[in-house]
Order: sequence, then C-alpha cells, then structure tokens
Amino acid sequence: MSQRNQVTQWLIHHAARRAPRHLSSRLEEEWLADSESRCSSLSRLRFGVGCYWAAMVIDNDFPSSSVPAVSPVVAARSFVPLADGNYSYFSLRSGTLFLIVGIYAALFCGLITTLSHTRAPPEIESIRILPAK
Amino acid sequence: MGRKDANVRMSLQTLRVLEVFLENPAEQLAGAEVHQRCGIVSGTLYPILIRLESAGWFVSEWESIDPSRAGRPRRRLYRLTSTGLRRAGEVFASFNRGVLA
Repeated sequence: MSQRNQVTQWLIHHAARRAPRHLSSRLEEEWLADSESRCSSLSRLRFGVGCYWAAMVIDNDFPSSSVPAVSPVVAARSFVPLADGNYSYFSLRSGTLFLIVGIYAALFCGLITTLSHTRAPPEIESIRILPAK
Repeated sequence: MGRKDANVRMSLQTLRVLEVFLENPAEQLAGAEVHQRCGIVSGTLYPILIRLESAGWFVSEWESIDPSRAGRPRRRLYRLTSTGLRRAGEVFASFNRGVLA
C-alpha cells in the first residue's frame, strides 16, 4: 500500500472522529468504501482531504447535542461532552471568511508598518528637491 | 435522523445532486457514483447527502454484498424517497416557473 493511501486512510479515520458520534462509524466505513473506487492514490488523497472538510461541515450541521439522550440521568452525566460543539457566533463559512479577511488585513498592516519604518539609502536621503524657479 | 421533510437549503450543488437522482428515481447510488456523475467533490457532496437524508428526501442503506466475495467493501447506497421525489420535482418546477421555492 502506498504512503498516500495510508495518509488517506488516516485522514478518513480522523475525519470520521470529528463527525457527530451517531454518524461517525457509518461515515468512516462509507468513506473508506468510496475511496476504494478512486483510481489513483492522488485522487484518494484529495478525497480524504475532502472528507475532513465534510466532517467539519456535518458536525456544524448536526451538533452532538442533537443526539437524543437515553435517560435524564445519562443526559445530566454526559451533558458536558455532549454539549453543542458549535461555540462560535458565526457559521463555519462565515468563520472561514473572517479568518481569510483577517489574514489579509494583518498582511496589509504588516506591509504598511514595514514600509513606514524602512529608511531610504543615504545617497537618496541626501538628495534635496529644490523648488522650480 | 432528525428533522423529517424539512426545508433544505438549495444550493447549486444540491440541485446537481438532486438532478442525478432524478434521472432514475428508483436507482440506488453510492456517494462515489454521484461524484462520478456530477463531479462534486467529497467535501461538498457528503454534507449534502447527509442533509437530504436528514430531511427525509433520501434514505440510505448498506449494500447487500459479501465484501470477501466481491473483493471490495460494502458501500452506502442512497435513494430518493417519495417525499424527496415530490419535493425535488417541486423545486425544479419552480425553476421552470421562474420562481425559487
């Protein structure tokens, strides 16, 4: 088995663990079976990366708290681990957008700060521009 | 899974998935086959399949094969339900009328 296939299997395994509990084992088996239908190992690798993203989206759609508890006692005991994993105020898509915008803003600020603190070479600094007569 | 016959967010990719299933509504398709037919990547495809199943538009079941004989693992097969068929028909009909449902 090639290294890429091993990485794909690892990705699918970890992706399935990120998915809601009631779907986790089913998705792992389903994705492993579907990855077999891919012809090349690179295609399988891309499939594995996609599954990782899919697991995050599914987890966002179906948070763990939607799993019905068996009894109030079990529900109370497992409240913390079953609490909604979606803590953020924004959806996954909005969060990604804000992250990208934030990175661009940070890069832009860094560029501006660097340029403003960059000193010109002495031969350029000594040049005086005289007003035209 | 959850909210039956709920409204499903209609994205272009969701419509493409539905279109694949509407070609032959009785056919059972695995995620890999849907990918081959409409070219939607796995990261987008599986959330759509799960969402549609959760809304009651699809049902899924494991393929009834013996993996050791078939030489491959069993796949999860999806099929349109009568509700899904009706609702998908309504969605595409609304496009024909020029109104998004």
